[in-house]
Amino acid sequence: MKKITKSLSYRNLVKRPARSIALMLLAAFLSFSVFGGTIIVGSLRSGLSSLQDRLGADIMVVPYEAATKSDLENIVLQGNTGYFYMDSSYLKKLAAMEGIGQISAQFYLASASSGCCSIPVQIIGFDPETDFTISPWIKKSYNRPLQDMEIVVGNSLNAFVGDTLTFYGTDVHVAAKLDRTGTSLDTAVYTNENTIKTLIQASLDKKLNNFGDINPDKVISCVLINVAEGYTIEDVLNDINLHVRKVEAVQTKNMISGISGSLKGISDVIGILTAAIWILSLVIMIIAFRMSVNERKKEFAVLRVIGASGKKLFHIVLTEGILVSLSGSLIGIVVGALVILPFGNFIEAQLGLPFLLPGGLKVAGLACISLVASVTAGSFTGALASYKISRMDTGLILREGN
Amino acid sequence: MEKKNKVTVMDIVLLVLSAVLCLGTKFLFHACEVMEGESIMACHWAEQAVTGVAAVLVIQAVLLAVTAGKDTRKGLSLAMIPTAALTACIPGGLIRLCMMADMRCRSVMRPAVMILGIIIAVCALVNAVLEWRRA
Repeated sequence: MKKITKSLSYRNLVKRPARSIALMLLAAFLSFSVFGGTIIVGSLRSGLSSLQDRLGADIMVVPYEAATKSDLENIVLQGNTGYFYMDSSYLKKLAAMEGIGQISAQFYLASASSGCCSIPVQIIGFDPETDFTISPWIKKSYNRPLQDMEIVVGNSLNAFVGDTLTFYGTDVHVAAKLDRTGTSLDTAVYTNENTIKTLIQASLDKKLNNFGDINPDKVISCVLINVAEGYTIEDVLNDINLHVRKVEAVQTKNMISGISGSLKGISDVIGILTAAIWILSLVIMIIAFRMSVNERKKEFAVLRVIGASGKKLFHIVLTEGILVSLSGSLIGIVVGALVILPFGNFIEAQLGLPFLLPGGLKVAGLACISLVASVTAGSFTGALASYKISRMDTGLILREGN
Repeated sequence: MEKKNKVTVMDIVLLVLSAVLCLGTKFLFHACEVMEGESIMACHWAEQAVTGVAAVLVIQAVLLAVTAGKDTRKGLSLAMIPTAALTACIPGGLIRLCMMADMRCRSVMRPAVMILGIIIAVCALVNAVLEWRRA
C-alpha cells in the first residue's frame, strides 16, 4: 500500500509539470536563501574574527601623519599598498615606557607595478626576534626561521613555494604560502627585517618611491604593543599619546569597529531578506497546495469511494509536499553552492569586507541544516492541505455540480 | 529510408551552455582589461584559449542537434566531455592567471569557466548514457 501512495504522489507531480516546477522553485528559494544567507554571514563573521586574530596586538603606534591621513587603515584593513616611516629611536623610547608587555616593530613597503617588480603588492617586514603577531601565523605554514631574501606570500597571491619574485630588481624566493585568512593580509608579502631593508634600499636606488631622504637602517613603519598584565590598554594608549610626540597610538579594536558596523548592517539586511523570502514562499506554497487540492477534490473523493482512507489521502498529499520540497531544496542548495563558494573572492572584493569561507565539513553541515529546514517547511505546507482533504465529506463533493 | 532527427532537451541544453561559455568568456565574465601601453597579461591569452575551445564545443553541440545516427550522437556526446574538461582546465591550470585573487580573471572568469565546463561535461556524459540506453 505504501508503494501505491508513493507512486500516486509521484505520478501526480509528473502529470502536472508546471505546478510541480513552480513549487520546486519556491522550495529552492527557501533552501537557497537559508544556505546562501548563512554562508555569507558566517564568512563575514569568520573574516572579522580572523582579522582580529591577525592584528594580534593591543596597540599600534604609527607616525602622526599616517594615522590622520587614513594611510594606516588603507594598508592594514583595505589591503591597499602604501608605506610610511618614522625614526627607529621611537622603538626604544616606547619599550622603556611603563605597562609595555610585548613590543615589536614592522616595516611597510609597496612594490611598483612597473617592470622592476613582479607584482604591485604590500611588503611587510618584521623582526623575527621580537615579533608576536606574524610569526605565530607563519609557523602554521612554515616551521623554519625565515632566511634573508626569503619571503612568505599571502594565500591570495598566485605565487607558490620555490617561485622567485622580483621587487625593485632584487630577486626574493618564496619559502611558504600562508593559510587563507579572508582579509586584506592575504594579498601581502612577508619578510624579515634584513630583507625588507635591502628592498627599501633597492627602491631608493631606483627612485621609484617618494621616500624623501631616509636611511633604511634607521626607520620603522609602526610599533606593535601588547600591554603588560596589571595595566589597561587605555592607560598605556593615553600615556603614549601624551608623552611621545609626532606619533599616534591607535587601539586595534577601534580600527575594526567600522568593519564590525558594516558587518552588522549586512547581517541585518540578509536576515530581513531571508525572513521575507521565507514568509512569501511559505504563503505561496500554502495557497498553491490548497488550490491544487481544491481542484482535485473529485479525484480524492473517487479514491475514498474505492476504499482509500482519509489517512491514505493525507499521506498522498503529504508525500507530494515532501517530494517537491526535497527536490526543490536540493536544487537550491546546489545552486547556492555553485554561486557562492567559487565566487568567494568576487563577493569579498564587492563587499570590501573580510570574507573567510567555511571549510568543507562546515559547508556540508550547513547544507544539511538548510535542507532539513526547507523540507520541513515545505512538508508543513503540504500537511496543511492534506489535513483538509483527509476530513472532506466524499458524498458532498461527488454531488457538487450535479 | 533516412531517419528523421529529433532534437532532444539535452541537445538544446548542451548548445545553450556551450554558447554561454563561448560568448560569456568574451563579453560577460571576461578576463582583466588590457590597459593601453601596458604589457598584455597571461589571463588575456587564457580568455582567448577558452573562447576558442568553447567555439569547438558549440560546433560539436550543433552537430549533435542536427545528427540522427545513434552512434554518431553517442560519439559526439563523448567527444564533448574531454573538450569541456579541457576548457575548465585552461584558466589557472594550463595558463596562469594574474597574481591577485581579487582580480577579475581569478575572481570571475576562472570560477565561471570551471563551473560551466564541468556542467557541460556532466550533461554530455548524461547524454551519452541516454543515447547508449536508447540504442
